[in-house]
Amino acid sequence: MHNYDKMEKIGEGTYGTVFKARNKSSGEIVALKRVRLDDDDEGVPSSALREICILRELKHRNVVRLYDVVHSENKLTLVFEFCDQDLKKFFDSLNGYMDAQTARSLMLQLLRGLSFCHSHHVLHRDLKPQNLLINTNGTLKLADFGLARAFGVPVRCFSAEVVTLWYRPPDVLFGAKLYNTSIDMWSAGCIFAEISNAGRPLFPGADVDDQLKRIFKQLGSPTEESWPSISQLPDYKPFPTYNPTLTWSQIVPNLNTRGRDLLQKLLVCNPAGRIDADTALRHAYFADTSDV
Amino acid sequence: MALDFWKSSHAQQWIFDKTEIWKQRAEDMKTYSEEEYSRLNIFWANFITAVATECAHSQANVGCKLRQQVIATAIVYFKRFYLRQSFRDMCPFLVASTALFLACKVEEHTTLSVSSFLKNTALVLPKRWGVAFETNSAKNGVLYDSEFILVEILDCCLVVHHATRPMFELLEDWKQHTLTSTNTPVKDFDQIEIQCQKVVNDTLRCDVGLMFAPHCIGLASISVGMELMGRGEELEDWLVEVDTDMDKLADCINQIYTMYQLWRSFDEKEEVKKLMAKLPKPNTPIPPPQQQQSSYHM
Repeated sequence: MHNYDKMEKIGEGTYGTVFKARNKSSGEIVALKRVRLDDDDEGVPSSALREICILRELKHRNVVRLYDVVHSENKLTLVFEFCDQDLKKFFDSLNGYMDAQTARSLMLQLLRGLSFCHSHHVLHRDLKPQNLLINTNGTLKLADFGLARAFGVPVRCFSAEVVTLWYRPPDVLFGAKLYNTSIDMWSAGCIFAEISNAGRPLFPGADVDDQLKRIFKQLGSPTEESWPSISQLPDYKPFPTYNPTLTWSQIVPNLNTRGRDLLQKLLVCNPAGRIDADTALRHAYFADTSDV
Repeated sequence: MALDFWKSSHAQQWIFDKTEIWKQRAEDMKTYSEEEYSRLNIFWANFITAVATECAHSQANVGCKLRQQVIATAIVYFKRFYLRQSFRDMCPFLVASTALFLACKVEEHTTLSVSSFLKNTALVLPKRWGVAFETNSAKNGVLYDSEFILVEILDCCLVVHHATRPMFELLEDWKQHTLTSTNTPVKDFDQIEIQCQKVVNDTLRCDVGLMFAPHCIGLASISVGMELMGRGEELEDWLVEVDTDMDKLADCINQIYTMYQLWRSFDEKEEVKKLMAKLPKPNTPIPPPQQQQSSYHM
């Protein structure tokens, strides 16, 4: 790691500490992710390995770039492009106000990044504000692909615990094992609402039950009719019918009609009915500039 | 599928023509003739498959049967590795075990340790090929390094596009085509699928994976599979309509037949011992980044 001057610790990733550093020869600021190799027999953690091989294939403006992988002794360091902050920190700097144009720009970039990943058969599986980086120009980049996987081959079961609870879709909360790009689209919907509300999370559930309850209180409890074969899901249990207490315009007051329409197309309980990233990008919300 | 394949590291860095492949193997070609190397190609694939399947039998890992895709990925890693390095640089048995270990992780499969694959190596080699093997290097330090070394030599290109998926898609397309154009369903379609799957697995025993796109190998496997079943002519109408480079397809089919021919005349029990006796002794210690560090740019 002689090429880099380590500056300060930025955070803890899924599998290691992240530092800000300067490349000695180019002066460029980068983020170094040091991979811990603790388990004797396991070698490089699978999450690190997946991140390496997935980012090796993904080069896009809205996906964080992996510049280098450096190994010395028993350490592995991933060298990433540096971004000033993540979406969560960005929210904190807003003082509760997000302008409509910024919100749309962030959502547009999130969907572009997702569309690119999905077209490359990569699911992120762990989208949340902490994993969306924003640089000084306001460019948003998907990061932390430690839980991502290349899909395509039917896989019987993914790793048990993926996706932070708040951004987890109801099918996964009910124990669905076979999922696809729709998992990321739900998370994108939750993040969309959170962006428009300048960082107030949409469904901040305390546990799986509470999470589902919050979702169904807003969207109505799904039935066999709205979601065929829902009762076959491993952890399915029926929920009472709730009467929505808040309207969408109360929940996301800063979104215009088109924005609310897009949000409702993302937040569909039945994964088969959820909009995909490409279709979402063509949504009228992104054509609309009247409220700027 | 085809679209994202062409943008992948597989397409951009790991597809070569024949001359380039043999040029990259120059160091090992001092030891082996081209024909011997082609036999080795068959042996390594058989060997990696055997090590992987041994897991299913060994006591410690009951019920842990590695999927064919994991095996295929490991074989591709192994073949790519020895384009960039020679047998002298790193022991092929260690490379094979490490390749399986990496493939398990990348394909998100239950992961077995490198040392358990090395143990299987020590079981499988004498039993099936009469070759002795000692797991003397199975110390964790070396194993860590072997994983690093593989990732580095493979330039972090660990996502491999296999021919199996496009092959099944093409078969499905042919089935539909036959149904609409002749109004009769394809006879014994499940038999055809089994046969073609076998051929596509066998293609790992030659160099087509380093030379052709997965859909081309898929198509070639269908052609060969159907030919072997004596039903090649059923494909003719459909093949005319498939959008593909016919010269490449013919070349690929040809290489698969050449491999089968070689495999038939290959008395593994006898010949592998001789081939292994010629195997260059690895530079010891394995030339790893203990002090020096290495870095690879993306």
